[in-house]
Amino acid sequence: MELKQLQHQFMAYLLGQKKDIVNNIQSTPMRSAEGRMDIYANAYRMRLKEAMTTDFEKLHTYLGDEQFDMLMDRYIDVYPSHTTSLRYFGNHVPELLEKPPFDEIPVLKELAIIERAFANSFDAKDAQFASVAQLAEVEPSLWAYLQLKLQNSLQILPFSYNTFAIWKALSDEATPPDVEKKAEDSLWVLWRKSDLISHYRPLSAAEAAALIAAQQGETFAEICERLLDFFSEEETPVQAVTMLQSWLQEEMVAELAVVEASD
Amino acid sequence: MTRPFLGFGLGLRTDHYQHIIENKPQVDWFEIISENYMVEGGKPLANLDKIRADYPMVMHGVSMSIGSTDPINKKYLAKLKTLMQRVEPKWFSDHLCWTSVDHINSHDLLPLPYNEATIQHLVDRIQQVQDYMGRQMLIENLSSYVTYDNSEMSEWEFVNEIARRADCYLLLDINNIFVSANNHHFAPEEYVDGIDVDRVMQFHLAGHSYSGDMIIDTHDHAVCDPVWQLYEYALKRFGAVSTMIERDDNIPEFPELREELAIAEKIAQQTLTKEQLVISDDALPMKGAA
Repeated sequence: MELKQLQHQFMAYLLGQKKDIVNNIQSTPMRSAEGRMDIYANAYRMRLKEAMTTDFEKLHTYLGDEQFDMLMDRYIDVYPSHTTSLRYFGNHVPELLEKPPFDEIPVLKELAIIERAFANSFDAKDAQFASVAQLAEVEPSLWAYLQLKLQNSLQILPFSYNTFAIWKALSDEATPPDVEKKAEDSLWVLWRKSDLISHYRPLSAAEAAALIAAQQGETFAEICERLLDFFSEEETPVQAVTMLQSWLQEEMVAELAVVEASD
Repeated sequence: MTRPFLGFGLGLRTDHYQHIIENKPQVDWFEIISENYMVEGGKPLANLDKIRADYPMVMHGVSMSIGSTDPINKKYLAKLKTLMQRVEPKWFSDHLCWTSVDHINSHDLLPLPYNEATIQHLVDRIQQVQDYMGRQMLIENLSSYVTYDNSEMSEWEFVNEIARRADCYLLLDINNIFVSANNHHFAPEEYVDGIDVDRVMQFHLAGHSYSGDMIIDTHDHAVCDPVWQLYEYALKRFGAVSTMIERDDNIPEFPELREELAIAEKIAQQTLTKEQLVISDDALPMKGAA
């Protein structure tokens, strides 16, 4: 038999699809070919479950062993690994949680999003940290053309439920609060500071709009325009500068650049 | 060339980062799992850089899938090369196995049939990798639990032939020889005797678990006596070979693992001469270099 076919058959056994490979494996009096292949098939599932258990610790606690095990079994069947590192194996967990029966508890998907966001922040690409002092060096006349490069780790996450409160309680090994649907989506920012630890906090609608604009590469003038939806013309400049300063102090900004006026 | 001898090392594990960074314990070198550091940034690379500043390192991969019938994963190799430029390891290694097919990854080290067609397949691919990386690589023997009907030779004949033809080196896992000898009913000494002395560049030692008649390569126990005896036997054949202990589960505190490594040092001191055990921590040269 050709190697390619042998590998297909072996993989089919691991995936629980077909058992043809056993016809090409030697049995011994102590252990059949199937018994030998089962060592690999069991190890396959165990290894993937181990990775998921490590990566979705809070989701696991929230669901309990039995439900989490069912989730893992379903996930392993639907999303075989296409990556060379187990670090990324769980990337599609939020997707699976959008589907029945998991979609009956929407907070599950949001919990998974939080846990993925922490993983993504943990090993995101390193960058510099821009400072308030650097901002002070920019000529006031050029502020309008300021462009911010935010940390690669920075993620803005929308939530329909009080999921961060649930996550925090699970993190503190406390009883999580009841699920509560918010009247409007709340936005949170999660990013990694220079201490290499990921931090998070809620955003007001105005700050979220400004931060999303900054992340999309809009200039300070354009960010101010966005803020006009939330503040008066008089208030906007002060609000914008306050936000910018706090982003710098909180180490959300990697670089400050002045782009040339395009008009 | 004279074989470089790095001395006695350990597998670098996250549980031990803090201890190593704070105490700088005496260990000749560390082996890293390459995939753990094939990330963009953050703590994994920051810790790696800190520890690398104090210790020589070798890189050991688990996902090259050198025996797969899928095309060679160029993206993976590019990332590996980037990491290699950062770490400047003495050498890099992966396993004589396949891990993925049709781009589905088993995240396991799966065995190959021992026959001529597979040898040629492996030789071609190892040469491609060595050309791309600009360096010779080490390939490691597996623990395995199945024997294919279309295997035509012993595992050691297979391993040896590939190393000769691909002109690569061997990372001989002493525990894996012991495990496979039990699972496939051969004498582990016969395996050791069948391997070319000049091809062996590194040893792995590890613990294992029993599951009925089979031994499973779990890396969750201390090295057992028969494996220490096989290590001594291998030292007599191969001379001084850079040796390290792999521990991946049920990981003890660092000092306990360091004590276990001292057993390897003691066996080597009793088996070899002082002259043989002089550390010469040269890196494997770049391909084409004099």
